[in-house]
Amino acid sequence: MFLTKDEEKIFDGEMGEAQAIAIRLLVSIGEINGADSLIPIKSAHISGVSYKNIGDGGLKFLKKIADKVKVPTTLNPLGFDMERNGPVEVDRDFKEKQMEIIKTFMSMGIKESFTCTPYYFYQKTSYGDHVAWAESSALIYANSIIGARTNREGGPSALAAAIIGKTPNFGLHLDKNRVADYEVEVNGKLDYSGAAALGLYLGTNYPGKIPRLVGFNYLRDFELKAFGAALAASSATSMFHVENRTPDDTLNRGKKFERIEIDYNQLKNLMEEKSSSEKPELIAIGCPHLSKDEIDYIASLVKGKKKDKDVEVFLFASRETIKNSFESVKIIEEFGAKVFADTCMVVAPLSKKYHKTAINSGKASFYLPMKEYGGQEIIFRNFNDLLRWAVVDY
Amino acid sequence: MIINGRGISPGVAKGKIALCDDYVSPLGEMGKDGRIKSGKCEDLEFKGKIFSFRGGRGSTVGSYVLLELKENLTSPIGIINEKAELVVLTGAIISGIPMIDGIPLNILKNDDDAIIDGKSGRLELLNVTQKDVSTVYLFHGDRLLVLHRSDKVSSYQNQFSAISGHIEEGETPEEAGRREVLEETGIQDIEIEKTGKPFPVRWENIVYMVHPILARTKSDKVNLNWENQEFRWIHIDELGKLNTVPRLKEALEELMKL
Repeated sequence: MFLTKDEEKIFDGEMGEAQAIAIRLLVSIGEINGADSLIPIKSAHISGVSYKNIGDGGLKFLKKIADKVKVPTTLNPLGFDMERNGPVEVDRDFKEKQMEIIKTFMSMGIKESFTCTPYYFYQKTSYGDHVAWAESSALIYANSIIGARTNREGGPSALAAAIIGKTPNFGLHLDKNRVADYEVEVNGKLDYSGAAALGLYLGTNYPGKIPRLVGFNYLRDFELKAFGAALAASSATSMFHVENRTPDDTLNRGKKFERIEIDYNQLKNLMEEKSSSEKPELIAIGCPHLSKDEIDYIASLVKGKKKDKDVEVFLFASRETIKNSFESVKIIEEFGAKVFADTCMVVAPLSKKYHKTAINSGKASFYLPMKEYGGQEIIFRNFNDLLRWAVVDY
Repeated sequence: MIINGRGISPGVAKGKIALCDDYVSPLGEMGKDGRIKSGKCEDLEFKGKIFSFRGGRGSTVGSYVLLELKENLTSPIGIINEKAELVVLTGAIISGIPMIDGIPLNILKNDDDAIIDGKSGRLELLNVTQKDVSTVYLFHGDRLLVLHRSDKVSSYQNQFSAISGHIEEGETPEEAGRREVLEETGIQDIEIEKTGKPFPVRWENIVYMVHPILARTKSDKVNLNWENQEFRWIHIDELGKLNTVPRLKEALEELMKL
């Protein structure tokens, strides 16, 4: 791999240990993957913020690599809402360690975003931008819906890219690797959860392959967000296309692909198989974090309604999204639901208090039943079905 | 035996193989106690072993999980992937866990004694030997010759196979193929149409490196030797219905695509 004179100086440690560790990691990754050089990036997004996920080993690594970032850099959610506390109690030691992690990130000049949807409000990312994003649901969104270019960065490699302001040029930074591998058709109309179920199905059965959805022009961006998040949770796939819709679909023009036809009922069955039939203790919405549009829509459904007192309803979004949806958030809170920032249903230790959680997210349906997440019983349905449990006289 | 993959994270590891023929999300699936927590490989212990799986999936926080496992002394001592992706690869590099990829998992078994070199990509399996064999798919018109192996042969007894045998020292795969056809069927007039890429098949403590060959003959008269109990000229669609040696059908399909 070619390094410029300045990059070589960093590599040799002339700019300090933190930068040397960062560039050496990027160079190893580049050389393994046949990159020709490092290319400048416009932004970075870092996963591995929750103490629950990165532990003491991660904290040690962060301290070693802590240096100022060179591009706008955002952070993933952590284990609790710093302002409101909750959604569940975390013990003092956990909180202290978490704050130490945050302090380390802040000392590097990273934004207090704490969201898996940095593309709402925090990052101004445009078509064709080279970026280094971790968080599988965010990077698949950036590649597919925005048309920016990022590999599936691990938390540490995204951080290293932020510190150097560059990333190795390979994989999804190159046109040739962004072309679809196969086409997908479904004989029915999908909603948010149906799209998520399709993501799980494709991730499980065609791991690592880039799908091109045919006949899905009706899906809105937040539904494609749910699809991508489920696809990227259940596999290492980092991009998808929607025919005549997503920006890089132009790369597929004139090419022939193997087409897979999926029966709508198969996706319904997939959701049913994952679902318990019992009444949930908690309905959790916002994995990935909700957009302003989604919050406004939810507000329109619950406006003036009364929440069933036996079921908690938690919504998750970023601070900025909540701030910008002030009116709707008020309506939702009057209904009796709670809206949390900074955290999410996957990284907050929900299973300390809740064991039966209803969700409309394919990504959450992948993680919450895992033993490491407390082995929750889940109910995976679309949002309107979930509301039946939450609203009195629905 | 020695097989060369690609070096990912430097260092040498020597130990037992822990095999999971699936993709693994380090976050959620690799438990702090050194065992797999869910999915197809639930309860598999990777702690202190050379953990071999297809590749990473799921959360990009997975890199830190490997670091935390290492800190906890419950990490694998080495990692083998079929194809590495960034999350596991980064995790291995920052945790100093030797890692290689480009190794077909079907040559591995749980508890194999292995040494990996994360710099060169070399894998040595101490308890396994490699033998090269030729496998001839012999066609008469559109019919393929399959042989029902006897119970006297040393491997895959009573299964259906193509014409197969060891490549002796100094022989090319084609020469061995012609010799085996003659020995096992008595057929002399064969025309070799093409040869495919060799692929490994694991049987007990042997990895057979199979050299597939597609050949045609005008003769349909077969004289079996002791190695087989029955022969059939079949249409290739019937191959899926027989109890065959591993990868017989798949390797033929790949060969025909060439």
